[in-house]
Amino acid sequence: MAKKILVVEDDNFLGGLVVTKLSKDGYSVTHAPDVKTASEVLEKESPDCVLLDLVLPGTDGYGFLKKIRENLKFSKTPVIVFSNLAEEKDIEKAKELGANEFMIKSNFTLDEVSAKIATFVK
Amino acid sequence: MDNDMTLEQENAKLRKQNAFKTDVISISAHELRTSLSALKWILKMFLDKDVGEINAEQESLMKKAFDSNERMIGLVNEMLAINHSDEVNLTYETEQASIEDIIDTVLFDFIGEAYKRGIELLFLKPEHPMPKITADVSKIRVVIQGLVENAIKYSEDGGKVFISVHEKGREIEISVKDTGMGITAADQPHIFEKFFRARNAKEKYSVGSGFGLFTAKRIVEHHGGTIRFESTEKNGTTFYITLPMAAK
Repeated sequence: MAKKILVVEDDNFLGGLVVTKLSKDGYSVTHAPDVKTASEVLEKESPDCVLLDLVLPGTDGYGFLKKIRENLKFSKTPVIVFSNLAEEKDIEKAKELGANEFMIKSNFTLDEVSAKIATFVK
Repeated sequence: MDNDMTLEQENAKLRKQNAFKTDVISISAHELRTSLSALKWILKMFLDKDVGEINAEQESLMKKAFDSNERMIGLVNEMLAINHSDEVNLTYETEQASIEDIIDTVLFDFIGEAYKRGIELLFLKPEHPMPKITADVSKIRVVIQGLVENAIKYSEDGGKVFISVHEKGREIEISVKDTGMGITAADQPHIFEKFFRARNAKEKYSVGSGFGLFTAKRIVEHHGGTIRFESTEKNGTTFYITLPMAAK
């Protein structure tokens, strides 16, 4: 059965590219453009891994990460922060809140992202 | 004592400028990276033949484009690396200026676009010339340009954009009013936040940096002014800027 990936990304174009690539690689992918939608998907689908952007409308990615980690049901769900915010303070904050990995979008191809996800969900 | 105070004030001013510079560079880098990421991913998908076969010549060109994009990403990363150093400084060069002249030059650039879309773009000039302001003209021009650009961009064809100025105590108030889509009540509290773009604006134009209004606020406040807006969804928006008059 295909592993479920939740992609939280407010840019529909970028989100679409990620969904296309991960779907081709055999994942069952759901795209959420904001935290409200992402929270609903999280509860409904219990994804195997979350790929999380930080800059989101309303509640940001940090807020969603905190929410995930505070919920016992998802406290161990792998979360890969995937953002173009890349200053030390951003990385430190994400790790403190419980991110498993921090990937800077512009520094990775989608193959590399897919390969990273594979290390968490195999 | 006076000298100490002056130095302290000067330091505070420099710190403020430096923080602004850092913010602008961080935001610009974020936006550049977003576009470069999309290009990188798409080119890689072509090169990996995820979207079908390509011939050798196409592959060679794609590879060149991919490498060129990688160099650009490298440059952005370098730009961020120096962002916290004091080598790059955003400076303000102020002079006494006429707000009407600034607005006139801004509007000149938008006449063509407004005409093409049937949008009435009107500067309601005051009966008497306004007192001068002390401003960095190029930066205030950027602010007004951004507001007018948004007003046109988010208006329907055939809409109206009005700019007016008037005295308000010791300040000059500039308003930019449109009959466009407006800003939803839910988005209004966030409109000056870094990276924020209103949901209806994103639906109309997917491309946008989300730092125009953030930057505008920083520039206006640096001049000792204020920026605010009134808006109703589907019924237009009016932005108000106040700037202090030049000392007589």
